[in-house]
This record gives sequence, structure tokens and C-alpha cells, in this order.
Amino acid sequence: MAAQADAAATSPATSPAPSAISAGPHRDGAGGAEVVIDSVGKTFRRGGRRTVALAGASLEVRAGELICLLGPSGCGKSTLLRIVAGALAPDQGTVTVGGQTVAGPAPERGMLFQTPMLFPWLTTRKNILFGPKAQRSAGLNERDDPELDDEADAILNTVGLAGFGDAYPHELSGGMRHRAAFARAIITRPSLLLMDEPFGALDAITRVRMHDFLLAMWAQYRTTIIFVTHDIEEAVLLGDRVAVMGGRPPGIREVIDIPLGRPRHAADTDTESFLAAKRTIRSALTW
Amino acid sequence: MVTTIDREPVLTEVGELADRDDLAAYRKARRRAHTRRLATGAAGLLVLVLIWQLVATLLADPVTLPSATQTAQAFAHYLGRPYPSQGDPLWFDALTSLRRILIGFAIGVTAGVVLGSAMSASRLIRHLIDPVIEVLRPLPPLAFIPLFIIWFGIGELPKEVLIVIGVTPIMAVTTVAALDEVPEDLRLCARTLGASRLYTLARVQIRAALPGILTGMRISMAGAWTSIVAAELIAATSGLGYLIMQAGDYLNTALVFSGILSIAILGLVLDACLRGLLLLADPSRRG
Repeated sequence: MAAQADAAATSPATSPAPSAISAGPHRDGAGGAEVVIDSVGKTFRRGGRRTVALAGASLEVRAGELICLLGPSGCGKSTLLRIVAGALAPDQGTVTVGGQTVAGPAPERGMLFQTPMLFPWLTTRKNILFGPKAQRSAGLNERDDPELDDEADAILNTVGLAGFGDAYPHELSGGMRHRAAFARAIITRPSLLLMDEPFGALDAITRVRMHDFLLAMWAQYRTTIIFVTHDIEEAVLLGDRVAVMGGRPPGIREVIDIPLGRPRHAADTDTESFLAAKRTIRSALTW
Repeated sequence: MVTTIDREPVLTEVGELADRDDLAAYRKARRRAHTRRLATGAAGLLVLVLIWQLVATLLADPVTLPSATQTAQAFAHYLGRPYPSQGDPLWFDALTSLRRILIGFAIGVTAGVVLGSAMSASRLIRHLIDPVIEVLRPLPPLAFIPLFIIWFGIGELPKEVLIVIGVTPIMAVTTVAALDEVPEDLRLCARTLGASRLYTLARVQIRAALPGILTGMRISMAGAWTSIVAAELIAATSGLGYLIMQAGDYLNTALVFSGILSIAILGLVLDACLRGLLLLADPSRRG
């Protein structure tokens, strides 16, 4: 807790330079990987038109940290997330996760999307077991079915879907689908979770519950999380730090420590310190 | 520092299913609604038959309109007995038409799916083939009958080619649409879970397109019946279309109706088979 008090005392706005990573709350990141994003740029060419989606983005994410990428549409946050995922190759710069250079999608870097992206033809249990079974068919593991079933049961329990293993995605509510998607991503034990506005399409009440759910899961699994959002409140509630993105050309404008203690809950959003943090972020968005 | 959770995450949502019992009850209710819908549909058909019977009885002119019971008698009579002007009983003509349909349909579906997959995979192939299909698709296959008689005579080949001509463009178009509709993120999701490219292609992209392809098969099956009966009316010495034509020439209206009834039954059975496959492929359509 001392580290968090220190962070609160220092200026909330820190420079985007990698050297700023010493500030902010430190977490025990045993399950998480360190992420180094170094001068990453990406330009899309469609027809004769060139659109710079991202330029010179640098960011160091500590192992086990939950960092939010915040910005308006077109600020490059989704592009950056997809580059870290390995779905897009950057034109300039490199990304390393846990010391390894990213060269394509891999199960060490799990991803959650705006919609849960469950496979509609599979039951919840089979959705969750998709990763382990796909990896087994690629010879990446040798886990047998009973072992996988036990693990699926355990994880269904953890995310509150015990008894719904045989339900199909269309039989689940919106929040349950997101929890199933989380279970499916976490069962492959990723050291980094990339979340692309995962709760953006949910109603406000379900969203609040998903925030609490995510915070509890993060405390349990301790993986590094990069969370993309355009919602200031969501960014402040979840993040250890918030990387504010935007501008022309789009990039990371500022990385701001959130001087709030842990554990946090959705109910904390009307405390004075929370509102102060929101104000800091809001002023950073008007450059 | 290990964060402890002082509050359990809230895992039930407003309006969501609370447990396994709820899921079972939900499925039971959907099944009951499905049975009720089937019963209502059967009642609609029964009303049609009753009106038919009533009108035919009032009209009392079996050449213009034989009653439902007279048609049933004719159907039972000619099912195993050849109509005097030709050599084959009804079941044989039905089988002949069915064989033509199945051969043409199998070739047409295969060609359409292969074509559609190639168009979906390659922009060049798509731009090359798209106009060809757009020109062919609106043409009624019946316009080709005289041409096919010139080219292929009046044997089996022209009928099968006619069906292939009708089925292929529909299958190509629906296959392209079904493959295009699979979200990019669904594939990325599979890749981040550790699935190889090949595994993703087979188990996600093609699998996700399957319901759309099966729907295309249902549509083109209906078109195939139109083509085959028309071809048999014009240029054939066997098949249900030929039987109907013969019966009509001799004013055996009850046998005409029997032929139409046979087409309806065969069409219904084939569609039920495809619908069954569709339900297997897409759980959200069940119940």
C-alpha cells in the first residue's frame, strides 16, 4: 500500500517515456508478462490513400499490471492492441512480451473482443475447451480428455457458470457470454490478456457487474492486462495506469498513474479520490 | 503484495438463468412451443384438404376437380400399377425424378461450394466469376431446355445439366455470403487460443459458414424441382413430370393430382433432411 500512497503524492501526469515505469502501484506479477512496445508505427494503404493509424508508440507495461488504453475512435488503440496480439504486423518498431518478440497470434496472448465471439455451434464447455484441444491437435500439449474436463469444470465454477457447461451461447445472457469468453481465454493460461472494449455493448447494470468480475479474476489469475476503452470512468476504475491516446498522427500522448488503492470495486466510482482521478484524465484528453 | 478479495464477485444478473434447472425448463418450454407450431401447421394443411374435399364434392366433376379421397384412391391404385399409356408405375417415375434431382443437386452443390470458396478466398477469382454468375443467376433454367435437347438429346444428361445450371450459381452466391459473414475476429479469436491456420479454416471458418451453406442448399433444392419437372413435361419419357403430362392428356385429373402430391411429398422429405442437417449445424435454430 505504501507504493500506492507514494504514487498519489507524485504528479499524476507522467511522461510517456519508458523511464516513467518506476512510479505507480507495484503488484505481484507472478502470472503476468512484461510488455515492451518500442516505437511502433502502422500505416494502412487502401487504394492510393495512406492512413497513418499509429506512429511512434512506445509503452512499457509491467508484469501483472492492468493498463488501460484510452482514447476516441480512430486514436490507434485497437490497432496497437492488434499489433500486440500479433494479428497485425507493425511497419516500424517491435513488441516484446515476456522477452519474446511478437510475430503472430499465440495462446500466451489471450484476446477478448467487444462481442464475446463464442463459437455458436459449441456448448459453453466445448467453447472453453477449444483452446486446449486445438493446441493438443497441434501437438502443443498431451492433456487427455478427463484432465481437460476437470479443468473445464473448475473454470466454469470460477466464472460462475457451473451448471451451464451444456448450454449453447444463445441460451446465455450477455454477461454470462462474456464470462464464458473470459474462461475460454484464461484456460490456456495466457501471461497477457488483451481486451478490446469488451464490455462496450453491455447494458450499464451488467457492465458494472462485469467490472467487479474482471477485477476479482485479475486478482486471482494475476495476468498482465491491456484494456482498451473510450470510457474515462472504466479506465480509472480498472487501470493501474491509463495511457491516453490520440492526436495526429495517432499515438500515445500521456501515461497517467491512477492513485487509487486495491482492491477496487465498481461501487468506488463516486468517491472523491476517484472523481479527482477522472478529472486528471479528462484534462489529459484535451490536448 | 497479494490482493485479497473482500467481496465475492456478483455473478447473477437481472433476468438471467440462475441454474441448470432453469436451463432445462427453458429448453422444455422451447420444445413445447416448437411442437405447438408444428401442430398449428398440420392443422392448416388439414383445413386446406377439407376445403378441397368440400369444393370437389359440391362441384361433383372429377375431371375438373377430383376430391381428396378420389385423389388418394388414384394415388394408391397407380402407385404400384403402370398407367396404360406408358410402361412405368408411379413409384418408378418418382424414383426416376428423385435420381435426376439427387445427381444434379450433388454435382451442383459441389461445384457451387468450390466456386464460392475460391471466390471468397481470392479477390481476383471473385471479380472474374462474379459477372458470370450475375448474368446466369436471373436466367430461368427452363430457357435452356431446347438448347440442351439440341446438345444432349432427350436422355438423362440434359436433365442433370439443367439442374446443375440452376443449383451452381445459387450455391456459389450463398457460399460466398456465408464465408464473408464469418467475422474476422472469430478467426483471430481461434488463433489467439492456439489454433493453427488449417485448424481455424476447417473448425472455425468453414464450420461457421455451414448453416448459411445449408440454407443455400434448401433454396436451390426447391429450384431443382422446378427445373426437373419442367424438363420432364417437355422432353422426357419417364419421371413425375412425364406422368403428369400423360395423365393430363387423357384427362385423368386424379392421377395429375397424384403426381403433384408425389412431388410435394418428395420435396417435403428432402427439405426435412436438409432442415435436420441445419438444426444439427446451428443449435440456435433448435426449438
